[in-house]
Amino acid sequence: MAKKATLPEFEMLGKYKIKPLPYGIAKTEEDALEIAKKIGYPVALKIVSPEITHKTDVGGVKVRIKDEKRLKHAYEDIMEGAKKHKITGVLVQKMARRGVELIIGGKKDPQFGHLVILGMGGVYVEIFRDVTARICPINKQDVKDMINELESHPLITGIRGMKPIKLGALYSLMVKTSKMIVNEDMEELDLNPVIFDEKGYDIVDVRYAK
Amino acid sequence: MREGLSNLKYVFAPKSIAVIGASENPSKLGNVILKNLVDGGYEGKIYPVNPKYQELLGMRCYPDIKKLRGKVDLAIFAIPAPLIPKVADDCGKNGVKGLIVLSAGFGEVGNNKLEEKLGATVQRHGMAMVGPNCLGVLNPEKRVDSIFFPFFKFGRPNVGDISIITQSGAVGTCIADLASYYRVGFSKFISYGNGTTINDADLVEYLGADPKTKQILLYLEGTKDGKGLLKALEKVNRKKPVIVLKAGKSKSAGEAAMSHTGNLAGNYLAYQAAFRESRAIEVDSVIELFQVANIFSQAMPKGKKVAVLTDGGGLGVLAADALEKEDLEVAKFSRETTRKLKKVLPSYVNAVNPLDIVADSGTETYEKALKILMEDREIDSVIVIILFQAPAVDSRIIDVLVKESDRKVKPIVVVAVGGEYTKNNMKVLDSYGIPTYGYPDAAVKSLKRFTDYSLFLKDKK
Repeated sequence: MAKKATLPEFEMLGKYKIKPLPYGIAKTEEDALEIAKKIGYPVALKIVSPEITHKTDVGGVKVRIKDEKRLKHAYEDIMEGAKKHKITGVLVQKMARRGVELIIGGKKDPQFGHLVILGMGGVYVEIFRDVTARICPINKQDVKDMINELESHPLITGIRGMKPIKLGALYSLMVKTSKMIVNEDMEELDLNPVIFDEKGYDIVDVRYAK
Repeated sequence: MREGLSNLKYVFAPKSIAVIGASENPSKLGNVILKNLVDGGYEGKIYPVNPKYQELLGMRCYPDIKKLRGKVDLAIFAIPAPLIPKVADDCGKNGVKGLIVLSAGFGEVGNNKLEEKLGATVQRHGMAMVGPNCLGVLNPEKRVDSIFFPFFKFGRPNVGDISIITQSGAVGTCIADLASYYRVGFSKFISYGNGTTINDADLVEYLGADPKTKQILLYLEGTKDGKGLLKALEKVNRKKPVIVLKAGKSKSAGEAAMSHTGNLAGNYLAYQAAFRESRAIEVDSVIELFQVANIFSQAMPKGKKVAVLTDGGGLGVLAADALEKEDLEVAKFSRETTRKLKKVLPSYVNAVNPLDIVADSGTETYEKALKILMEDREIDSVIVIILFQAPAVDSRIIDVLVKESDRKVKPIVVVAVGGEYTKNNMKVLDSYGIPTYGYPDAAVKSLKRFTDYSLFLKDKK
């Protein structure tokens, strides 16, 4: 049983009481079924391999898997696509909620030290580069200012009948993240995407470099 | 404040200045600087230093600084870089308190060892050094001037309360020249070049404590001490506005910055974070640095509501567009204001904001309308657009604006778009401390920054 297999990136978040989406690493199809049963459908499957950077290029990502039958198919497909590569396992992850995609990141600057970054995710970051930063550490008021500095902040604070996202959760996530960046002396950090709705958030992916 | 920094007072207000490398050759820096000090009317003692001469410009010339023991507050260096550390050491031993090192040829061209040696020497003696690789200092009040540009080409600004810290001598000079042209006064000008022992953060801190400086302009390419800069900005910006222009935001610009002052331009996101955190006022261009500085002579706005008074409808519309874009508000006139306006304005004028009093209105109509807008407490700022081209408008309107502006109730900014005749009137307005802009959007952008800063100060209280 691979219940204890974990990803170090996700475990790092745990140290700072930041919860990623429930997940497990499966080594076999049976593992995958068991993990999915435990965390509940729908789930997503993602290949975990040091050799593969663009998971989708090898068909290594399957989302919105609703039941066991579909899970088996998806698992086989992934294995088929990745058979030329060395793989660590398959990430079985609870399917993320739908909502506002944000990017939360960090960077170590040679002049200013650690930065914490907030940006709109998805197309907003690629096309509009809608991001803002602060020098660590930050407090709740800093996060409020940062939100207002984003061009697309109405997506966060609510617009035309759209409810605001759970702002309290964003404040505390940002403050915890800034602590983590400094304590772990991270060169770079990407929580991308973090998906927010009015009830909370899901951290879908984490990368960092020390 | 450490000794090396507090000794800057000997750089800005020395009782005596030695020019190291003074020369009789008009194409040499050592000649221009000496001449500029004399022609500029510096009242302290001037000592030319150069073993080649007995006498320069009718002054006795000294072979070296040792002959001037205890007599010199400030030494200005115009000699080749390799000779400087030794002479700086002699300066320290003979009681010199401040140095301005104009010469290039240090870290910016890879001579890091030489720069380190100079820095260590200066620090050992507790001297204040501006430079190397810079234009140095200009203090109109004390007529201290190390800028090697001739007077007929570069106008020196009058005495005022704006100070500028500039990493680039060229950019700083352009702003000071503009200030002189528009007769806007300056307190201190510092081009600090490589900033070996005194950097941007130190200068912000020093000017923050300088009672004669009411606002600080900072032109920055890259800092060596980001955390120090953030700390200085946070401390000073809540006492007096710091207006910042950060250059070298793109990759290629960053490389250009590295090669001319030896500082990495760095990641702009980090600089932006530091400016936002300290609420320093960031601007996007050299001209804007000057324009925003100009507006701070006005009374602080209490909020975002703006009235626009114009004799040209289209310019009023452009101003309203700009206000919306910059997140300021086009004020809604109160019932009382509307009633008062209707009473004094011709019947064909609509008493709404933007208030277009149409092109055949003269100075009297402007005066009546402006008074009413100044009295309305629901209006935080007034933009006055003047079509100087219109027949009924003439320079008497300047008196009206100066009178209302001097009451210091709320800010007045003027927009005048046009050629020679308009420009001449703009110049006069600027010289009276009324910020005047060539386009509505420029006025609104400056007003926005002024308003944000004013609200930030209000929040702090």
